[in-house]
Amino acid sequence: MDKKRIYIILTILFILLPLGLLTDYSAWGEWDNEVYKQMIGYIPEGIKNAQTFAIIPDYGEGSIVMYYLSALIGGGMLFGFFYLLTKMTKNETN
Amino acid sequence: MHIPDGYLSPSTVLTSFALAVPLWVYGFKKLKQSLNEETMPLIGTLSALSFIIMMFNIPIPGGTSGHAVGATLIAILFNPWIGFISVSLVLLIQSIIFGDGGISALAVNSIGMAFIGSFVGYYIFKLLETKKYAPFIAGWSGIVASSFIIALILGIQPFWNEAGKPLYFPFDLKTTIPALVGSHILFFGIVEGIFTQLIYNTIRKKEWIKKESI
Repeated sequence: MDKKRIYIILTILFILLPLGLLTDYSAWGEWDNEVYKQMIGYIPEGIKNAQTFAIIPDYGEGSIVMYYLSALIGGGMLFGFFYLLTKMTKNETN
Repeated sequence: MHIPDGYLSPSTVLTSFALAVPLWVYGFKKLKQSLNEETMPLIGTLSALSFIIMMFNIPIPGGTSGHAVGATLIAILFNPWIGFISVSLVLLIQSIIFGDGGISALAVNSIGMAFIGSFVGYYIFKLLETKKYAPFIAGWSGIVASSFIIALILGIQPFWNEAGKPLYFPFDLKTTIPALVGSHILFFGIVEGIFTQLIYNTIRKKEWIKKESI
């Protein structure tokens, strides 16, 4: 497998990330609670009472810098996880 | 397709975790078997790619948006268990750090987007392996199947109601299936297909040329 090319693709997509911020449309079903009020006249109990917890809510809520940073944090955590797991697995088998 | 907290009834949450935990444990074992210094950079990169591709929100007519997932790609390049675990991990990070998808909905989101996307995509790919466009069809099928499972679970939520007033997600199958599955058939499935085909060709190009010249 050619690894170099996929690093290039990952870098290009990373640079293009702000394109993901262009739309104001939310995903279907992932609406603000107020939208339920408009659509059906009330906010269902479960949705109203939900506690949402996030360290960086909504990838920085529209800031380009935070969007880039979010991708770095997410990507970094994923690489970190696989790196550590590889090390641990190697130690187990040795 | 990232279901937030508060959208699912407690019994849906419990059932989904009871189903997902054994799958996560088994998949994690499978991942450990395949993970070594050779495969690690690529599995890490493909997972990061899945995380990043989900940040490209694409607007569609009707006022909603969506994105590709990237589960099928990992499934066909490695195996579906690795696709399942990697994308589950992406969903875990999105949920805890960025509030994208509920923590209580993590099992449903993982079964829908990661498990179904990986396994349906993988078996469709196996069926068409000799065809050049197999990755496109596999990616399209994987995400459409994912959207079907998510629509199904969301669409049964009005069952839990108080005097006819839904307590959780209020729209039934008649709404969720056309909205979610329809938009994935027409738009996000195509994006997923192109993404899967493009990256697959890029990575496998050299081997393809070899295969074809024999």
